[in-house]
Amino acid sequence: MELLKVIGIKKTYTTRFGGNQVQALKGVTFTVEAGEFIAIMGESGSGKTTLLNILAALDKPTAGQVILEGRELSGIKDKELAAFRRNNLGFVFQEFNLLDTFSIRDNILLPLVLGGKSVAEMKKRLIPVVQSLGIEGILDKFPYEVSGGEKQRTAVARALITNPKLILADEPTGALDSHSSDELLRTFARINESGQTILMVTHSVNAASSARRVLFIRDGVIFHQIYRGDATREQFYQKISDTLTMLRTGGERK
Amino acid sequence: MKTGFKTAFYFKLALNNIRKNYRFFVPRILTGAGLLGCFYIVFTLAMDERLAQVRGGTYIPTIMGLGTYVMALLSFILMLYTNSFLMKQRKREFGMYNVLGMEKRHVGRVILHEMMIGGFISVALGLVFGILFYKLSSLLICRLLGVDVILGFYFIRLKTLIPPAIFFILLDTLTYLFNRISIARLKPVELINSSHTGEREPKVKWLILVVGIITLSAGYYIALTTKSPLEALYLFFFAVILVIAGTYCLFVSGSIFILKLLKKNERFYYNKNHMTAVSGLLYRMKQNAVGLASIAILATGVLVMISTTVSLYSGMQQTLDQNYPYHLYISAGYEDKEGNVVQIPRELLAQIVEEAAREYGVGIRSVEMQRYLQVAYMYEKGAFTSTVPRVFDLNFGNVANVTFITRDEYENLTGAKLELDKGEIAVCAISTKFGDRGITNGFLTIDGKTYRVAMTLKSFPVQDRMSTTVNCYGIIVSDNETLDEIYESQKEAYDVRASEYINQLAVLYADTQKACDAGQAMHDTIWRKLFAAYRDQEENIGSWRIDFDSLWDAREYIYGMYGTLLFLGILLGFVCMFATVLIIYYKQISEGYEDRNRYQIMQKIGMGPDEVRKSIQRQILMVFFLPLVVAGVHTAFAFPILEKLLHILLLSSTWLFVGCSIIVYVVFAVVYVLIYAGTAKVYYQIVR
Repeated sequence: MELLKVIGIKKTYTTRFGGNQVQALKGVTFTVEAGEFIAIMGESGSGKTTLLNILAALDKPTAGQVILEGRELSGIKDKELAAFRRNNLGFVFQEFNLLDTFSIRDNILLPLVLGGKSVAEMKKRLIPVVQSLGIEGILDKFPYEVSGGEKQRTAVARALITNPKLILADEPTGALDSHSSDELLRTFARINESGQTILMVTHSVNAASSARRVLFIRDGVIFHQIYRGDATREQFYQKISDTLTMLRTGGERK
Repeated sequence: MKTGFKTAFYFKLALNNIRKNYRFFVPRILTGAGLLGCFYIVFTLAMDERLAQVRGGTYIPTIMGLGTYVMALLSFILMLYTNSFLMKQRKREFGMYNVLGMEKRHVGRVILHEMMIGGFISVALGLVFGILFYKLSSLLICRLLGVDVILGFYFIRLKTLIPPAIFFILLDTLTYLFNRISIARLKPVELINSSHTGEREPKVKWLILVVGIITLSAGYYIALTTKSPLEALYLFFFAVILVIAGTYCLFVSGSIFILKLLKKNERFYYNKNHMTAVSGLLYRMKQNAVGLASIAILATGVLVMISTTVSLYSGMQQTLDQNYPYHLYISAGYEDKEGNVVQIPRELLAQIVEEAAREYGVGIRSVEMQRYLQVAYMYEKGAFTSTVPRVFDLNFGNVANVTFITRDEYENLTGAKLELDKGEIAVCAISTKFGDRGITNGFLTIDGKTYRVAMTLKSFPVQDRMSTTVNCYGIIVSDNETLDEIYESQKEAYDVRASEYINQLAVLYADTQKACDAGQAMHDTIWRKLFAAYRDQEENIGSWRIDFDSLWDAREYIYGMYGTLLFLGILLGFVCMFATVLIIYYKQISEGYEDRNRYQIMQKIGMGPDEVRKSIQRQILMVFFLPLVVAGVHTAFAFPILEKLLHILLLSSTWLFVGCSIIVYVVFAVVYVLIYAGTAKVYYQIVR
């Protein structure tokens, strides 16, 4: 089943002083099936963050459509946008974006609180999520009291607790050490296996190799894509690595 | 050429910085201008010799001189305080300059230029503001004093323009020096990487909470239970200290206690409108409790200051009416060479007063001769005793002022008949906290001698003027011998401070306004005639003992004093009010920059713009209105004791004071709400 359809997305920025126009995205088209785990790779300035912002409904495309489960994002009114994002999307950021005045528990519950859920409902949802992420022991601590890996798992719990259709992750391993990174990626793989659709933007080959499919973006267009298929993670890692080398040395599209 | 270019560069940079940080600079410049304007007004009022000469204007130089010091202190505190916010906010900016290769002395020059530009604008604005509003102020003060307005009230003199300007330039220089030092201490790397080190959630400090509850309740208890004005006079200060201590303690620990309680209540806490506000405030209180407590106390001060001066002023006429049933009280006598007091015959005095009145065309309605004795006693269980009270005796409230007249005098003054046998008295409780319960059991002891109370009276013909004690009695004794006994026994106890007989003439003129207009001249004429009558006996007279108490003197005194006080009270009240509001504005704005990050995170994970606005409103609402509510509660509790204090200042109408307090509070709240709305808007712009 198609979960997300991205059709011909273009994004043009006009520089502040006068008419210079910069095209960040020049027509991006792809689809995401339900249950997929996709990594979008690209270097700085390739347009991947712009793409993610558009998918997250934080930014609007200059042209093209983003359709989530048959609903077009640009057709949603500004007033409903926050609720739409809260109910359908989960976010994991590089810098965790936890609120330091909230305990781990309150950070995870925040989207439910914003959504006006009852206390009983919150409790019911909290327990399985934190158990599956192994953070049930730190619920009463504060962000500054826990490790980076635990912070990011808290952020994942916060993203998962609303049962979103799609999780959008922006460089989720960017601020983590290699051990915590691997742990987080295993977590992503596991929640993906249980049916959660994940779309991750990264420039780490290691992170991308845990995905099932990798899209390469360069100069504002999807340049290439590869599937993991039955390959092991190590093999996939090698394949991504080779592809990147090829892209960098100016190889043509296959 | 080169230096010119450099100056232009710094000038431009400074101008640009002011524009960029306008949220901090504009209020600061306006604050400076406003303070300078008020300072100028108070200072010029003190210096304006034309005002000192108007009727009742003798108090203006003294009171305004005092006001100048208060204004100077307020200006000093506020200018440094607003500056501290500005500097805290800009540390990162300065660090950036440093990293970009500007030396600290260059940064210093930039802020010197900023200070010069800002200072110049605020001094210029302030003087213009001051000069413009001086006219209004002098009109107002003339109105308050009840005198005709002198035309051409623009009073522009270098001697009143230069000192305020210099004072504010000094203040600016001082803030510049402070900033220069704090820049010298900057470590740029720390500033740029100023990461959010986690702060522990504050814990409830139980000891402080308990101390706060105890001190606040003790303060309130004193305010509520103090009975007499004299007790109020020295307990008030004590109560104020207790309440201030309690306020600080409760803001520091009580606020956290309540917020934690709210947090524990899951149904309340896990609500999109409450969660961010409660947890945000919990952290905020840790840094801001002291500031908010200060604001609450300042606001209370403003309310008390304005409402008391307003009620004193508006109660003046009533006070005068109550205390002066007659327009003039006059008693005269002299001490002869042997030290004996000789009273001038009342008939002679009455004749002179009538002549004087005729001379000025003022009609007389009645002239009464009153002879009475007034003694201060300690009252206890149905007994008046003449003992000298110690100042810090807690029974201070038991002081009673008793006015004695004879039966004949009573009949003479009232025309009513009164049957009193020897050893019997009639008692009137004019105003007392004891009620007449202790007396109506039939007997009353005065300095050891017990009298039978034959009857109690509702009113008493001789009125004590400007009395500040709460317990006033009037007693009618059977004859002159009894009166003499009472006189002798108090004379023994009090010695040189003993009371003497008062032989006075109470004069009621036909037309109050006419009498007051001619008052001063009649006064002089009466003296002249009196001295003339005794010219031939000059060699016998050691010193004159003359008591001349007139409505017109009292009126001038009261209008001059209260009018001037009211003006200063209002001016300082407004300055303090704007200070309060300014402090909150700055607090909120600088917090806005801190909160920005949090709100941006929340928007990323699905908080809509409406929810952001609501959550901000809630948080600012609590921070803003907590001090206002506390100030209101404090004022309400202070009310009973303030009322007693005002009694000393001769105000006796409770409802007037209630009304004034409520009006002042409402005006205060309205200004507060306006500033709140503005602040919330700016805050929202920052965090959005």
